[in-house]
Amino acid sequence: MRRRELREGAQGLLMVLPPVAVIAVFIGFPVVAAIAYTLGRAGGPNSVVASLGQRQFIVQHGVTLDAYRDVLGNKTIHRDLWATVWVTVLATLVVVVVSWAIALYLRLADTRLARIVSGLSVVPLFIPVVIASYAMLVFYSSDGFMRSVAYHLGWHSFPTLGFTLWCVFLAEVWVNIPFGVLMMSSGLNGVPNNLIEAARDSGASMPRVVRSILLPMNVIPTVIVATFTAIYVLGSFTVPYLTGPTAPNLLGPSMSNFFSAFNQPQQAEVLAIVVFVLALGIGAVYVWANVRTGKRSAVAP
Amino acid sequence: MNRKHLGAIIVLALAVVLASLAATSKAATKRQAKTDTIVLYASGDVNVQSLWQQYIIPGFEKKNKNIKVKFIFSEHGVQDTTTLARIGAAVKQRKWPGIDLVDAGLVTTLATDGLTQPVTKATAPNIKNVDQKLLTPVKGAAIPYRGSSVVLAYDSKNVPTPPKSLGALLAWIKAHPGKFTYNSPNSGGSGYSFAETVVDSFIPANVLKQMQTGYFPNLESNWKQGLDLLHSLNQYVYQGVYPNGNAAVLDLLGKGQIWVAPVWSDQSLTALKTGQLPPSVHLTQIANPSFTGGAAYLGVPKSAKHKVDVYKFVDYVLSPAAQTQIINVMSGFPAIPLKLMPKAIQNKFADVSANSLRPTYAQKQQSDFKAQWQQTVP
Repeated sequence: MRRRELREGAQGLLMVLPPVAVIAVFIGFPVVAAIAYTLGRAGGPNSVVASLGQRQFIVQHGVTLDAYRDVLGNKTIHRDLWATVWVTVLATLVVVVVSWAIALYLRLADTRLARIVSGLSVVPLFIPVVIASYAMLVFYSSDGFMRSVAYHLGWHSFPTLGFTLWCVFLAEVWVNIPFGVLMMSSGLNGVPNNLIEAARDSGASMPRVVRSILLPMNVIPTVIVATFTAIYVLGSFTVPYLTGPTAPNLLGPSMSNFFSAFNQPQQAEVLAIVVFVLALGIGAVYVWANVRTGKRSAVAP
Repeated sequence: MNRKHLGAIIVLALAVVLASLAATSKAATKRQAKTDTIVLYASGDVNVQSLWQQYIIPGFEKKNKNIKVKFIFSEHGVQDTTTLARIGAAVKQRKWPGIDLVDAGLVTTLATDGLTQPVTKATAPNIKNVDQKLLTPVKGAAIPYRGSSVVLAYDSKNVPTPPKSLGALLAWIKAHPGKFTYNSPNSGGSGYSFAETVVDSFIPANVLKQMQTGYFPNLESNWKQGLDLLHSLNQYVYQGVYPNGNAAVLDLLGKGQIWVAPVWSDQSLTALKTGQLPPSVHLTQIANPSFTGGAAYLGVPKSAKHKVDVYKFVDYVLSPAAQTQIINVMSGFPAIPLKLMPKAIQNKFADVSANSLRPTYAQKQQSDFKAQWQQTVP
């Protein structure tokens, strides 16, 4: 019996080994090398990039945090970091609220109109982000559709949103809504009808049903939408690059500037690690939520 | 050995030498009749491909029946890195790399690393017409064959008399708030050129020369005055925004949102041709100082075969006929002086090429400049 267990364990390990090895070689190793580079180690796999870069902080022995000091002491980066955090928080909140609302509408009012609305909300999924960003820019530019309509309605001072962080925020929401709606509506559809009907029969109002039944049973999809949207916005490049202001902008375009235009790969990698740490924090929330529900469902099946 | 014998031997030796000479000259004429093939490697967009494949190579082969040009094209330069390694390895072993002439961004790397034939060894008479200043950044080891410069585009409907100097342009920008912008220097060469030109106008000529040829971080304090001036323009620039990329500025210009902007000569001439820019948009160059420009280079690897034929080809590329084709197909800039070009071309560039291409900073200096702009201007 014992031997069989051992053999099965070994087999399982062998089967999982190829993907783990691929990840270790193609992702793990470069990440370790990049972290070493940000800490001032320029030998081995970093020698090529270090021979080309400018404004590097290199040590022969031990490590140095000078590159981090250089980046985090940079006022432009401060502004970019705050812009990134604000746009991420706002966009995530709005995506969660809007996709909840659309999904709920579809769940409760299964009419033709509801189906059209939910169908339309998924359309952005099929439009490339570059096209969407450019469309957004044209739509909100100073001679764009929104301003023209507002002008004809008598509002002559409608703000020009193109090339502002507001435009970035709107475009991020637009891009992320479909995923939100799909996740939320599949979550809400998983709530059995008889639960809702039972609550209605015992006299619960619709808001009460939403609060006490739909909301608690849809926590995981909500957390998934929130965390994935936040991580996506945090690392986005195309949307802020095309629609955002010159400065401050999100860290995605900043990183690419440092890497290619300024030829400062070490600083770019420090920024990447900053974004990684932020994303790690968000990812932790996701894991925590999953573990919690996993435990709960294990206790009360 | 007596004299008689000696005489006979001398006669015999002479006969042998003469015979062998005759034989080699016969062989030489035979080889001339045979066709040689030279290999050209080019990378870039489809306009580069069509320039070589449909215009220059057929034109050359028609004139030189015994030379064939084999054309290797790498779209968007995807094979540039491997080609660079291949040529580098072959030249170091003194073997033929399989390529005799290169037209790609990697030429400047080849030239500065000493892997290409210096221009002084070229047997192409037309090379002497090329602007000698363009040879400095490539250590005299590559041949500029076309150029593009940054020029000032203006909408003649709204701007009947464009500014003619940098000072006049700055005054115009302040007098017409919101009608000018340039793309952020890190996102494209045209906006970069405007920013560098403003900064250069405050820098002494000898310092500028150093920055154009090498990397001197300690000279960067000279940028302060110019960057401050650029910062003060924020309130006059279109929405206070510096769009990303050369094309974004052309787009604003085409839609009439802005009236004046620095643009690439070839890109804007193509846009005028395709209608992306309305015909009312005209191009001009400013003075004191002019905008910067750059050249595309041809390189001959040191271990290339048939160098005589290769330089015949280079000579043809630099001839007025081929240069005219380059201008028509690529909207490029001629690499030889305008006075050698046909009258129609001279008129076309009357406004634009008043100055030759003004060189920019060396690569690393450029990177630092972009970083400082990003931190101090917007």
